[in-house]
Amino acid sequence: MRILVVEDDKDLNRQLVSALTDSGYAVDSAADGEEGYFLGDTEPYDVVILDIGLPKMDGISVLEQWRRANRVMPVIILTARDRWSDKVAGMDAGADDYVAKPFHMEELLARVRAQVRRATGHAKSEIECGPVRLDTKAARVTYDGQQVKLTSHEYRLLAYLMHHNGRVVSRTELVEHLYDQDFDRDSNTIEVFIGRLRKKIPSDMIETVRGLGYRMQAKAEPQKSDEV
Amino acid sequence: MRFNSLAFRLFATSAAWTLFVLPLAGIIIFQLYRDDVQASFDGRIEKLVNAIAIDSLSSGGNEPVAPVNRYEPLFEETHAGWYWQIRPLDDVTGNRLVSASLATATLPSPLEEKVAPDANGARWLNTTGPVGEPIRMVEVVDTNNHVENAGRYSVIVAGPVDWLESRNANFLTRLAIALALSGLGLLAVTLFQIRFGLLPLRAIERGLSDVRSGKASKLEGELPTEIEPLQSELNALLRSNQEIVERARTQVGNLAHALKTPLAVITNEAREDKTPLGTKVAEQATIMRDQVSHYLDRARMAARVSVIGRLTDVPSVVEPLRRALERIHRERGVAITVNCPAGLRFQGERHDLEEMLGNLLDNACKWAKSNVYLNVSKKGAGQARTGPSRIVITVEDDGPGLTEDQRKRIGKRGLRLDETKPGSGLGLSIVTELVQLYHGDFALAQSPHGGLTVRLELPGL
Repeated sequence: MRILVVEDDKDLNRQLVSALTDSGYAVDSAADGEEGYFLGDTEPYDVVILDIGLPKMDGISVLEQWRRANRVMPVIILTARDRWSDKVAGMDAGADDYVAKPFHMEELLARVRAQVRRATGHAKSEIECGPVRLDTKAARVTYDGQQVKLTSHEYRLLAYLMHHNGRVVSRTELVEHLYDQDFDRDSNTIEVFIGRLRKKIPSDMIETVRGLGYRMQAKAEPQKSDEV
Repeated sequence: MRFNSLAFRLFATSAAWTLFVLPLAGIIIFQLYRDDVQASFDGRIEKLVNAIAIDSLSSGGNEPVAPVNRYEPLFEETHAGWYWQIRPLDDVTGNRLVSASLATATLPSPLEEKVAPDANGARWLNTTGPVGEPIRMVEVVDTNNHVENAGRYSVIVAGPVDWLESRNANFLTRLAIALALSGLGLLAVTLFQIRFGLLPLRAIERGLSDVRSGKASKLEGELPTEIEPLQSELNALLRSNQEIVERARTQVGNLAHALKTPLAVITNEAREDKTPLGTKVAEQATIMRDQVSHYLDRARMAARVSVIGRLTDVPSVVEPLRRALERIHRERGVAITVNCPAGLRFQGERHDLEEMLGNLLDNACKWAKSNVYLNVSKKGAGQARTGPSRIVITVEDDGPGLTEDQRKRIGKRGLRLDETKPGSGLGLSIVTELVQLYHGDFALAQSPHGGLTVRLELPGL
């Protein structure tokens, strides 16, 4: 999952980036409205955290321009202005959620998870795929109840596949959503990580769809026999 | 009318002038009248004496004859005050002719009394008549033209001074009444003039009181040219005052908002740090955050006391809130059912209604299973009411609700009954403070939908 943070306060920006990175997201950050707008307009983000009071271009305008250009990624507005008229203005501009400063990082992270889940169509913070279970809150993966040890890149890859389970995810999409913009995007790394994941969970859960990409799904046969 | 008032000053000067001028005018008019009456009286008896002298002495005989009375009927009435007398001078025993009114009495001769003659040779004397009445007489001395070396005769005509004085007194009474009436009239007109003239000052007073009570933001209306500068100066003063207040309010807001980002940074940093210092800083930062919100709210509210009297359209506040809240709570699938007739208006600031409804609906959405109901209606619609008109707002949800004990405790600042729902817990206390500010009512009850009912009663139409 890739997240954009647009916040002009350096310290808060750094805190957000580090907290989000620790939670297993690939994070890009921008310090002003123009840069933020450009990134949001050109890169595919899963969630954007957008401050309202930004230099060069205010957050509401940034958001309105994205929406006008049909950029539909979830946007969480971050602002010190917490009157309802401000909230309504933000929501009307196309925001999906609203967090008033000062906030607790846990709350913001919960809101981010909620937006990711909503965008991928999951109702709960735990996503199951057969015997593999992803706890988005704790950033943990278990297989048959046993915790699976994953590096952060492995976790990101698996989390993305699980959020989109049952759907074919192209290699480009994976690269775009798993790495921040500064990362050296060697497409081979994806294959390497897929290979590593297949050693940690049943290898046939991640299917290679030739020419298209990868698909994660629970093995159909055993589930069917369970039901019969 | 107080002594230290413009009205009193104007009235006092005007009254003093009136009281000085009217008697003076009265005295002058009376003087002129009396002189005039005196002159016409004198003219009359002078004409009479000349006529009688000619009649009597120039009739053709050697002796003076009694003149035929064709001048004054009162010459025939005894002691009537009107008399004539013809008497030879230098020879006291000569023939004496008198009017019937004089009977046996004799009139003294001014000549013999050494009265000097006037330019026409007439001698005037004020004396008393046969019965002691005051009379004024005129005497001419003439001779019989038909007789050579004839003796001189004294011809006298006298008239009553009473007649003069009664006319004067009569005139004086009427003059006094007329002057008194016109004086009263003048004072009444002055009073009216002052009231009418000072009316625009009343208008300024009313305008200022409207400004103070928040009904107006400046002195309205077209005022006379003399106080127009005052009006524009006052308006300029009000404007600059508003600007100062506005600036102060903006500064407070800016300060509070500017503090929020550093507070967020400190809070986040401190929560990462598990040392006692970190814990302490996190704790204090939370207190600072609450204080900042508290005083920010206070500043907003204090600024609003003066604007009560404004009207806010309720549906236009409700609809955007519903839209935003459904979006915020989209994940939980909460539907907000609104029943708010068009045209309902809240008597107060738009932001306040937004804060109250926003917080109540947000709370309801957090707790609701799937439905939140917002009802706004006019209190006692269709009935005759006493007292100011009000609107009733109820927000209900189908969540778990509260026990009676919890309902009693809720609403106190900072109190949160359940820490599992995000939010600072300040929502309801802001609502109750705003309700108090508008002298409204706040009540909690069990909702028929299962959850909590919050009922507000606020001024509105």
